[in-house]
Amino acid sequence: MKRRFVGAVLAAIAAAGVLASAQTASAQEIQLTGPLKGAPAVRSMRMYREGRFEIAPAASFTLLDEYRRTILAGAQLTYNIKDWLGIGVWGAAGVLSLTTDLANEINQTAPRDPLTAINVNHTGDPTAMPPQTLGPANFNDQTAKISYVIAPQLTFIPFRGKLAIFNKIFVDTDFYVAGGVGFVGIQERAACGGGGSQPLCASPQSFASLASETKVAPTFGVGFKFYLGDLVSLGVEYRALPFSWNRSGFDSRGSGPGNNFPDGQVNSQDDTFRFNQLVTVSLGFSFPVHPKISQ
Amino acid sequence: MGCAADNASKDAEGVAMKQARRWLLLATALVLLPQGAYAQKKKATKGTAPAAAPASADADADSPAAPAAATTPAPAPAGADDTGAPAAAPEGVGAPAGEAPGGMDICQITPDAPQCQAAKEFNLGAEAKKVVRAEIYAVQQQYVLKSGRLEIMPYFEFTLNDQFVSHDAPGLALNYYITQVLAVGLNGNFYQGLNSPSDFNFQNRRAARISVPLNDYQLSGDLNFTYVPMYGKFAGFGDFIFHYDAFVEGGLGIIRTEPIPVIDPDNRKFDWKNHVNFDVGIGFRIFFNRWLAAVLEVRDIIYDESIEATTVAQGSPTLPLNSPQNPLNPATWYDPNSHLTNDVQMQVGLSIFLPTSFDYQLPK
Repeated sequence: MKRRFVGAVLAAIAAAGVLASAQTASAQEIQLTGPLKGAPAVRSMRMYREGRFEIAPAASFTLLDEYRRTILAGAQLTYNIKDWLGIGVWGAAGVLSLTTDLANEINQTAPRDPLTAINVNHTGDPTAMPPQTLGPANFNDQTAKISYVIAPQLTFIPFRGKLAIFNKIFVDTDFYVAGGVGFVGIQERAACGGGGSQPLCASPQSFASLASETKVAPTFGVGFKFYLGDLVSLGVEYRALPFSWNRSGFDSRGSGPGNNFPDGQVNSQDDTFRFNQLVTVSLGFSFPVHPKISQ
Repeated sequence: MGCAADNASKDAEGVAMKQARRWLLLATALVLLPQGAYAQKKKATKGTAPAAAPASADADADSPAAPAAATTPAPAPAGADDTGAPAAAPEGVGAPAGEAPGGMDICQITPDAPQCQAAKEFNLGAEAKKVVRAEIYAVQQQYVLKSGRLEIMPYFEFTLNDQFVSHDAPGLALNYYITQVLAVGLNGNFYQGLNSPSDFNFQNRRAARISVPLNDYQLSGDLNFTYVPMYGKFAGFGDFIFHYDAFVEGGLGIIRTEPIPVIDPDNRKFDWKNHVNFDVGIGFRIFFNRWLAAVLEVRDIIYDESIEATTVAQGSPTLPLNSPQNPLNPATWYDPNSHLTNDVQMQVGLSIFLPTSFDYQLPK
């Protein structure tokens, strides 16, 4: 016990020493006197953004999808008020929707019987008397997909620099953070089991079509912009678009303690939160063609 | 008389000629004076290093290079912004020599400052306007020399691609840099106790009545080679400079995993098994100083996983243990098919380089 205490004290002293020496080093870094004191960090910098309008056709790929991944085609339009601040909009439409291995696995192996009739697409009537044998239908028809995204946003560019690749290729680069509001068009399994004109969730009709809906969600992203020339830039961006939706079309919530148990209905209570993520690759064109140069 | 007058006229002309020669010599000297100064400056930059920038400068001594740079103004080309390159600061262009940007004459305070000494010899304003075709590097000097140094990298990794079980773990990497761009090293992760089945897994089982075989990880270790092809620097908020590099790594090692009994938990008890794995990764390092950096890396550990069989032997447990019909026979527990698995991780950590200081061998 005593040895452990002594060890902990020595470790704390060592850590404090490391931190203290680091602070001394950083203090040395800022002790700049003479002609460079107060001078800007960068001179004669190409200001690729300030006063320029950029149109960037882009392709976006959703990440870590559970049942269906989407490829979106669109563009980012940005007017850069300052070299560090821009305002714009990102818009994209889902052009390709691919099912995941998990969705295919469920489609192929999930039993179609009265126990799964509410949750997995099937043929036949599970309530018929005498009981019918249920047949398989495509599970992928009930999984949700992203149709479009429109996101007005502000872009903040805190870091600007350059990159050397293999000591041969040198590229002006900036790092940015974008944030705004996303209007996301989705298609997900239509509400069922709620009475009125809604079909029963166990009936095959409840799986027949997807309903369109628009979700409003915050969106934010970080990215790099590589300036290949005065006119053209290459962008790589990671973006998050968190909101709740029912990706599987399952009835998973709505009754019991904390509404954590199925209630025989598919509705907004079955939406679950997901931190939707995308990677976007874009090719930007900025106008006017020639950027300003700082002092 | 006329001859005398003629001689006097010739004498006067001779005196005038002698005086003209003196004026010519003086004018020539005045014309040559700035060129002489220019030649001196060019010698200073063309040779090895400026007087105040020694050929072997201690890495921690950043500031001595600055005064020397002030005496050798080298305007950067428009394309290559000189983020943080002190050599590009054209002292004397906007303000008289020795006068600080704020307007205060620092030569009154520190008359021995290098730029004040230089101001006595040269007209820095005129010198700065001259075009000097100096060779400018996009990144003047690599901020951190890694060759011959040991990198200690504690980190924590998060699973990126497994929705059913997350395999988060602390880890440690040790890399020795053989050259500035190539390192060989070891790294290890310890997962046991931090494997976490997700709610998503339960929801799928309940709704679709299918079970997905799951695996826990115990630990992994790899021998890696790291290559650093990219480096650069950023100006933050146009105010401060920080340096970064990007690297790729690859290697092979061992990962120990075991299936979580999901299909037949009553009869199956699995043990840890070793699997040979390959790993590839790409990372990004931001330097706080010359020995400490933050690291962000995405790594994919690729291996052939043994997963639980989704079918259960239907015979009686009283059958001989090696019977393929006996559900207690461990040979029936594993799926016979091969399952190439990608465990994609994001690692966040610190990078500590030892020794903490180093010497530059070349001025640039």
